[in-house]
Amino acid sequence: MEKTKIESKKISVFYGDKKALSGISLDIPEKRVTSLIGPSGCGKSTFLRCLNRMNDTIDICRIEGKILVDGEDIYDRKLDPVLLRARIGMVFQKPNPFPKSIFDNVAYGPKIHGLTNSKDELSELVESSLKKAGLFNEVKDRLNEPGTSLSGGQQQRLCIARAIAVSPEVILMDEPCSALDPIATAVIEELIDEISKNFTIVIVTHSMQQAARVSNQTAFFHMGNLIEVGKTDEVFSMPKEKKTQDYITGKIG
Amino acid sequence: MGFWSFLIIFCFISFYVYWYSSTKALKFNANIKNGSKLPSLPSYYGTYSFFWLILPIFLILVTWFFFKPFFLDILLIKKIPSDFLTTFEGNPDMLVDTIKATNPEKFFPGTNPVIIESAKYFQNLKIISDSYVYIGTLLLGLIFSTFSLRKISVAFRARQAVEKTNVNLLILCSTIAIITTIGIIFSLIFEALRFFEKVPIFDFLLGITWSPQTAIREDQVASEGLFGAIPIFTGTLLITLIAMAVAIPIGLLSAIYLSEYAKPKIRATIKPILEILAGVPTVVYGFFAAITVGPFLKEIALFFGFSIASESALAAGGVMGIMIIPFISSLSDDVMSAVPQSMRDGSYAVGATKSETIKQVVLPAALPGVVAAILLAVSRAIGETMIVVMAAGISANLTMNPFESVTTVTVQIVTLLVGDQEFDSAKTLAAFALGITLFFLTLFLNLIALKIVRKYREKYE
Repeated sequence: MEKTKIESKKISVFYGDKKALSGISLDIPEKRVTSLIGPSGCGKSTFLRCLNRMNDTIDICRIEGKILVDGEDIYDRKLDPVLLRARIGMVFQKPNPFPKSIFDNVAYGPKIHGLTNSKDELSELVESSLKKAGLFNEVKDRLNEPGTSLSGGQQQRLCIARAIAVSPEVILMDEPCSALDPIATAVIEELIDEISKNFTIVIVTHSMQQAARVSNQTAFFHMGNLIEVGKTDEVFSMPKEKKTQDYITGKIG
Repeated sequence: MGFWSFLIIFCFISFYVYWYSSTKALKFNANIKNGSKLPSLPSYYGTYSFFWLILPIFLILVTWFFFKPFFLDILLIKKIPSDFLTTFEGNPDMLVDTIKATNPEKFFPGTNPVIIESAKYFQNLKIISDSYVYIGTLLLGLIFSTFSLRKISVAFRARQAVEKTNVNLLILCSTIAIITTIGIIFSLIFEALRFFEKVPIFDFLLGITWSPQTAIREDQVASEGLFGAIPIFTGTLLITLIAMAVAIPIGLLSAIYLSEYAKPKIRATIKPILEILAGVPTVVYGFFAAITVGPFLKEIALFFGFSIASESALAAGGVMGIMIIPFISSLSDDVMSAVPQSMRDGSYAVGATKSETIKQVVLPAALPGVVAAILLAVSRAIGETMIVVMAAGISANLTMNPFESVTTVTVQIVTLLVGDQEFDSAKTLAAFALGITLFFLTLFLNLIALKIVRKYREKYE
């Protein structure tokens, strides 16, 4: 039996008066890949951003319901969102490396949290994170060059390395391949498969093929509602709901 | 024809030329049954003809206004009877000046009638020559634009030609700014060189006493002037440092508050209020420093048992710092707001706090803009005169003590140039030497800052 890492209970999100998500209850298993699919504006990214409280940075956003990570409510007043985000990392749609060197990009998180005691330890951590993100061989000779000098696919892997470096338990990915070409996408997908042995991964994607390729569990969102969730092959081969069927066959969305 | 009637006629002709040319192009297109039409829109042919009208006129007029004085002088000298020219006491230049200055309607009784005649001739000449030039240029422009009409054909791409002319006009405008700067530098350099003929350059740059009082008349008993510029440059440095010590922290921190913490409504209120500070005339800051801040500092000092002058570098520098806060806060706020939200998100996502994000991501990314803002503020501080005159005095003390009275370069330039002075005395020329030194100093500062920005620039794209 798979262990549940994140448990969301009746999550509703409002932007001002507008309801973006209504009553989402979804369990996310540990060390598996869960993909969230659905048409644009269905709330899948909003749900993802609830999981590490990134929505806190938006003033007009209001959240109801509970999200439990390892049984602990992350919207509890006593919980510090900053510490939560160190446990639940995030990779964004557009690669957003800091305007710093490749090394400093990866070292950013560990430095802030004081994860290493010496310079040698830090460079070891940077190296291993870059290796895990499959980027080290490409950049080992130019760690001091700016991260923005890399190609789009490399930048996105740098962002993954940056997220891995603080050893989070969960990595959230918000359409990580939508700005990349097919070859860079294939590299990232392989990488997702690789790191899912150690991390719980939640990925938002527009591409149903991608969801089918990388994920173990798939959740289909539509108009702010969770329509269906199940094992990926089951959702794609024999969806229980009509809407899911319509979406994956291209009738809606 | 006077200038205004010229302008009105010119406007009419321009409209006519544009209209005629584009209509002709339209008709050209309409007459074509099969085969290709004109490669550009009719309005481009109109613009093209308009350029051929305005550019010759503009060029000739500019040249005319440059050469008009010389040209008129030559005509005038030809008109003066040669026997009068030779009998006139003084050189011909003075005679020409006298004639120009004479009003043929109202002259002193007893003025030589030849001068009055010549003055009449000259006044007449001024008006007539202008009219000839106006009419001539208009005709010439018309001829040119008429020729340009012949170019309306399938082979001629007017759109590209207009585009090219536009680029050249833009280049011309930017060249004017550069040429003006070069002109200013040269005028400074030549006057400064005349000063360095009187005072050795090292006495000026390395001397530590500034007392520019020289004799106004030959027979006057006065001290020989001393032109050691170090005290006034240290004074400038001291006041600028004090101003920056006030303005950089306050300006930068309020910029951080405005761009990162303030809610949009609060930001929309506070920012304009801060910017009002930049709109207060410097004279007002000057008397605020002299009447309020200076005595207030003196009171405080007395309370602690020591005495300071009521004119002090601290009062002037402090108030100047307040004045330049908006330069730093407003510009820095703009550049920090321009840092993309995705940068901040990336930082929050690894578990950084807001202040860590600002310190390590937002500020470094905005650094070039922030440095530019600080530079602008520094040049404002160095160039500021009024506050210093009123609150820090004009005595050139060589000191780094902020409680003493000091003076700055700009203040000295003002005091050297006002009042009755012979223009080629060392005292007056010293102003230019100060000016050129200040110019090179700020240039040097800018270059250093540019280097720093290049080195630490962090690009986000």
